[in-house]
Amino acid sequence: MSLLEISGLTLDLPSEPSCRLLDGISLNVGAGETVGIVGESGSGKSLTARTVLGLLPGGARTSGSVLLDGTDMLRCPPSVALDRRRDTVSMIFQDPRSGMNPVRRIGDFLTESLRLCEGWSKADADERALELLRSVGLPRPESHLSQYPHELSGGMLQRVMIAGALTAAPALLVCDEPTAALDVTTQAEIINVLRKQQETRGMGMLFITHDLNLAAALCDRVYVIHSGRIVEYGSALSIFTSPRADYTKRLVAATPTIPSVSGRRSSAAASHGRAPSAGSAEPALEARGVSKCYAIRGGADIRAVDDVSFRVPPGGALALVGESGSGKSTLARMLVGLERPDSGDILVDGVSRSTRPRSRAERLKRARAVQIVFQDPYLSLDPRIPAGAAIEDALRLHSTLRGVEARARVLTLLDRVGLTEKHSQSKPRTLSGGQRQRVAIARALAAAPGVLVLDESTSALDVSVQAQVLDLIDEIRRERGLTLVFVSHDLAVVRRVCETTAVMKQGAVVESGATAGLLEHPGHPYTQLLIDSIPKPRRSLHAISQ
Amino acid sequence: MTTFPLTRAVPRHFRPRSGNPLFTAAIILAMVMVIAAAAATLIAPYDPDFVDLGNVLSAPSPAHWLGTDAVGRDTLSRMMFGARTALLGPLLVVLLSTALGIGFGLLAGWFGGWIDAVLCRVFDLLFAFPALLLAILAVAIFGKGLTAPVAAMTIAYIPYVARLVRSLVVSERGRPYVTAYRVQGFAGCWIAVKRVLPNVMPTVGAQSTLNFGYVLADLASLSFLGLGVQPPAADWGAMINDSRGALMSGQSLPALVPAIAVVLVVIAMNIIGENLSDRIGGRRQP
Repeated sequence: MSLLEISGLTLDLPSEPSCRLLDGISLNVGAGETVGIVGESGSGKSLTARTVLGLLPGGARTSGSVLLDGTDMLRCPPSVALDRRRDTVSMIFQDPRSGMNPVRRIGDFLTESLRLCEGWSKADADERALELLRSVGLPRPESHLSQYPHELSGGMLQRVMIAGALTAAPALLVCDEPTAALDVTTQAEIINVLRKQQETRGMGMLFITHDLNLAAALCDRVYVIHSGRIVEYGSALSIFTSPRADYTKRLVAATPTIPSVSGRRSSAAASHGRAPSAGSAEPALEARGVSKCYAIRGGADIRAVDDVSFRVPPGGALALVGESGSGKSTLARMLVGLERPDSGDILVDGVSRSTRPRSRAERLKRARAVQIVFQDPYLSLDPRIPAGAAIEDALRLHSTLRGVEARARVLTLLDRVGLTEKHSQSKPRTLSGGQRQRVAIARALAAAPGVLVLDESTSALDVSVQAQVLDLIDEIRRERGLTLVFVSHDLAVVRRVCETTAVMKQGAVVESGATAGLLEHPGHPYTQLLIDSIPKPRRSLHAISQ
Repeated sequence: MTTFPLTRAVPRHFRPRSGNPLFTAAIILAMVMVIAAAAATLIAPYDPDFVDLGNVLSAPSPAHWLGTDAVGRDTLSRMMFGARTALLGPLLVVLLSTALGIGFGLLAGWFGGWIDAVLCRVFDLLFAFPALLLAILAVAIFGKGLTAPVAAMTIAYIPYVARLVRSLVVSERGRPYVTAYRVQGFAGCWIAVKRVLPNVMPTVGAQSTLNFGYVLADLASLSFLGLGVQPPAADWGAMINDSRGALMSGQSLPALVPAIAVVLVVIAMNIIGENLSDRIGGRRQP
């Protein structure tokens, strides 16, 4: 019998029109097997994972069964479910920081269940915690025990969470997007830790992710879930290489990848609208030795951006790629004038913008030159202002259009980003993530800017929505001859849009050049590391046997 | 068991969302008070100042529903007319302190820096003064009546509103949507007044509703001390004061009626204010 066997799991919420969140989910995980659940937001993948621990939303009605080592987690008494959570199954969540009590030490976090539930002595429990911290590859286990969560980075905290989940030596580890909040190189490290622990302990692992690449890289078998139904399952590689269900096909097509050989899209991106590269034309956007420092109280200054220079020709597209803390977002904020460089200069169409604007006219002129689309469409729109009104505000500020003309222009802009008149009356909270980001793009276009900065503009979106928004950006860019600066952590994403790429690390550009060339022949070890860290489908045992 | 058939039969989600009976009751009570005050001249059974020495301290009767006071004035009529000053005073204080508090809070929260530092110290200073003490001081300087206590209470209640507005504005100021307005080229003042302020207003409104109850109690205390509205004008606090003698001689009703009215209005305003802020809090969560 399998370690975990879910059959015909259906879950309804008692809301007004009865809301079926899970519909006939059946899956199984064997001992020592890694099984992935892949789906987009709202697909029910996290909910499925939680039922394994017997964690259900209030008032939920379920049918079917979730057999964990022979215990039905849906029907058993709470005390039995608690015992199973203590000895059979553990869970790791997406955000390690919110999963830990910030005022307690790492040592307390790791040992309290042993001391309080199993009655271990403090010395024994500490010894066990040290052993666990060492096994997840933390550098200084002894000192970590007395540290607080805020002293550790996100990647280190996620290792602590893994160590915590392993204290009881569970037979099944449920991982709910454990790397979604982490950098790509950190993600690769965490995945290695998980894989190693899974192999040495012979645990079963249920791995929830939105990232098809990641699932294919880690899992033996993958279930693809969409609106509460499993649409396809099979070996990881077969799903990735020969998807059968329509939804999976769309998902695979939308997933950004970096091919080992030169792909079709990179050549497409390189072929269109590319102005002569090196400096013959006046650049639309130029950074000359831009630096920015932040003073830290009681510590050395942090050089967020360190002597960065680049030129983007009119109609060109530059990608700034780096991990968190690389200074890419600070640079983006300087480009749109939210911060001023400490030294160096930023020129748009040959005009410097590193000083404060002196007048209203100058401020507006600068706003018309560069606009930005932010990362999180849930936060970058005013919650009280309907989509149409938000765009109209920007139009009124930057043009002489008023009344009916302005309304007409708003509808044209909405239409351009694939929204309709109906959406113009909608408050942001009634729109989906993709629709909000479209509104944000339309609002940026209202000022008719020459340069558009995209600050991680698609990273908060689902894979399929991200693909649509990327296509939209690419179209608009071609149509209007926009100059793009795309700030991103994801090489695979910028590859779709930008023909040149600059890789940033710790505030400095370590390598720049044509995107395709950079991906094929990375010149800097850090670029190589970034590319290597991107999860790639591995040849699993099932695949080899086929 | 047949004790809970109704709640069992109606599933939780079918019960009306706004069906908090306390909230409904509080709203109804507040409306009754307002109507009684506004229409006092039309519906009050007697002239509030009509003295009937042949009928002093009478018990409730069909002629006098709430009895009469020590000089034979009809308690119900005096309650209705008293509601005018009892409600008007706090209303003025709440309107003025909200308007000024929003101004100062917006200044402090939006600009930060030394403006914030100076204003916050001033708020601290005002917090240190008991509101009642400030009002007594104002009465001592400017004389009795409604104006001096209202002005003093306004000053005393500004920091409550300003502190709240400041903290809300500080948290809004850092939000990406404000940054987005800046990038679009909007002026700081426009963003602060036209966009940030409306987003914090619901919470401020809820706080001001709470303040209404507290101010009403404070003003009633002042007129109880004889520093507020002057006799013979009817006022709840003054009515309690006038009936102290009757209280001593065992006639508790003339003092009890206005006292209960004060307590009821304060509780009602608390319930309304808390419900409003709960609703706003619930709505703001994504």
